[in-house]
Amino acid sequence: MNDGIKLSRKDFLKIAALGAGALSLTTGGLSLFEGCTASRRPGTMFFSEDEIKLTEAIAEQIVPADDWPGGRDAGVANFLDTQLIGSYRRFQQDYQKGLAGLEKSCADKYHRKFEDLAWETQTAILQDMETGRLDGDVWKNGFSEYFFELLRAHCLQGYYGSPRHGGNKNYISYKMIGLDEPQIVGENRSGI
Amino acid sequence: MPIKNIRKSIKIVIIAAAGLLAVFGGFIVYWEAATPQNTCTSCHEIDGPASMWAESGHRSMHCKECHETAFSGGLHSLVEKGMMVVHHFAGSGERIIMLNEVQLAALLTNCKRCHGVEYARWLSGGHSAPYSAIFLNEKHNTAVQPNSDCLRCHGMFYEGTITDLVSPISIKGPWKILDPEQAAMPVIPCFACHEIHRKGSVAARADYSDPKKIYYSTPARSSAALFYDRYDKAHIETGSLPVLKLWEGERPVDVSEDPIQRICVQCHAPNAFHQAGTSDDRTPRGIHEGLSCQSCHEGHSNDPRQSCMNCHPAVSNCGLDVMKMNTTFADKNSPHNIHSMRCLDCHTKGVPKKRA
Repeated sequence: MNDGIKLSRKDFLKIAALGAGALSLTTGGLSLFEGCTASRRPGTMFFSEDEIKLTEAIAEQIVPADDWPGGRDAGVANFLDTQLIGSYRRFQQDYQKGLAGLEKSCADKYHRKFEDLAWETQTAILQDMETGRLDGDVWKNGFSEYFFELLRAHCLQGYYGSPRHGGNKNYISYKMIGLDEPQIVGENRSGI
Repeated sequence: MPIKNIRKSIKIVIIAAAGLLAVFGGFIVYWEAATPQNTCTSCHEIDGPASMWAESGHRSMHCKECHETAFSGGLHSLVEKGMMVVHHFAGSGERIIMLNEVQLAALLTNCKRCHGVEYARWLSGGHSAPYSAIFLNEKHNTAVQPNSDCLRCHGMFYEGTITDLVSPISIKGPWKILDPEQAAMPVIPCFACHEIHRKGSVAARADYSDPKKIYYSTPARSSAALFYDRYDKAHIETGSLPVLKLWEGERPVDVSEDPIQRICVQCHAPNAFHQAGTSDDRTPRGIHEGLSCQSCHEGHSNDPRQSCMNCHPAVSNCGLDVMKMNTTFADKNSPHNIHSMRCLDCHTKGVPKKRA
């Protein structure tokens, strides 16, 4: 009777290996999910947290707030984040290169991040970018002027375009220019 | 093989099976019990919608109660979730899980589980009309050819075009709905005006121990209704919808500030010149000018029949029994069309002075 209960070392190792395999499958699966979570940037699809902050600061410079919200509150960074994994995928490398270059330029010259600089200093940096006067290898061969134009065009698209593309939060620019959207136009001509 | 070895093998298998059962059982229990933040959003890149859901009135419901799983949600769900994997590795595409029209129609069962009264009222009203009632209407179709803009208000979740839906595209019938299963589906489901993920509170009794938490001390909630824009494939908050600017000739009409009315006028809209009474405009003018649609119409059934009693004859000065008047907009000859009647429509010789 007792023979059936006893397990040899070999059998014990078999069971242990099987159990360990099952456990590793399960925990491996769970850690895979957590691994995915850790590598993702919550709430964003392309930009990192730092890039989002930087892009928001740039968008606010391109479309500053006055009586109406500026580029930051209109969700221009979200527009860019959305489009850069969609229709604007071709600009991904430009943004990675340009944003990293901008942060480096600010760190080299001011030892601070772009978004932490004074408003006037931010403006001056973007003016230098527009006119190709920024220092650094990354800005050579016309990339400085090109990247500024790219930023300017995309920020305006994000601010004035349809909210369906990720920007113009709460139709803010439409309200600013007095555009009713969605338009109120009836189609009932049948008299029903 | 000796019996001893067979027994040993059986024991090994039983112990291994029990171990596996314990491990995978534990995993399944965790999967079923854990919050979506620890399960669904671990893989699906849906931080935005999931964050909204976490603050919504539906946060006690699990994702799969509406979205189902990749395998239980039909082909659409399987393809959509499969494409999320493709987009993840390609670093492209939107990763929002959108329910299609068939899934939304099935979801109405969930709605009525808790919102039975609202569901019943909606079912009894004009907004629950099926595709067949709208798109096979002879009076309409002989006057106006079925066109894509119809779907803006009648079939905002329809995934095809008007040519996929009805045939022929002509003012000459007879017309038919091309997909027979589509004919009975509602053109304006709950989701036309409601978003499941919208911010809200779960049902809870007022806490009378804290005066600040009693309902009349808390900030007023914005409307629970929104407008689903077919072209943007998104719900728009009433605060972001435009307020109707309406003219009667050159006179600006006083339009109610009620946010819900901004939804109504998206479909019950005047012509492009915004002239009162044109196209499908029902904005109150005359003696009822400035009133909201909801002053008379019940929110889900849109039934206005009991509304007259709310103000008449108690506030009426003339003593007329308004309940006996033909006030319906459907009767073009009615002198008492509730949306536009004036004092002089009845008092043609002048409005009498207030009774003492």
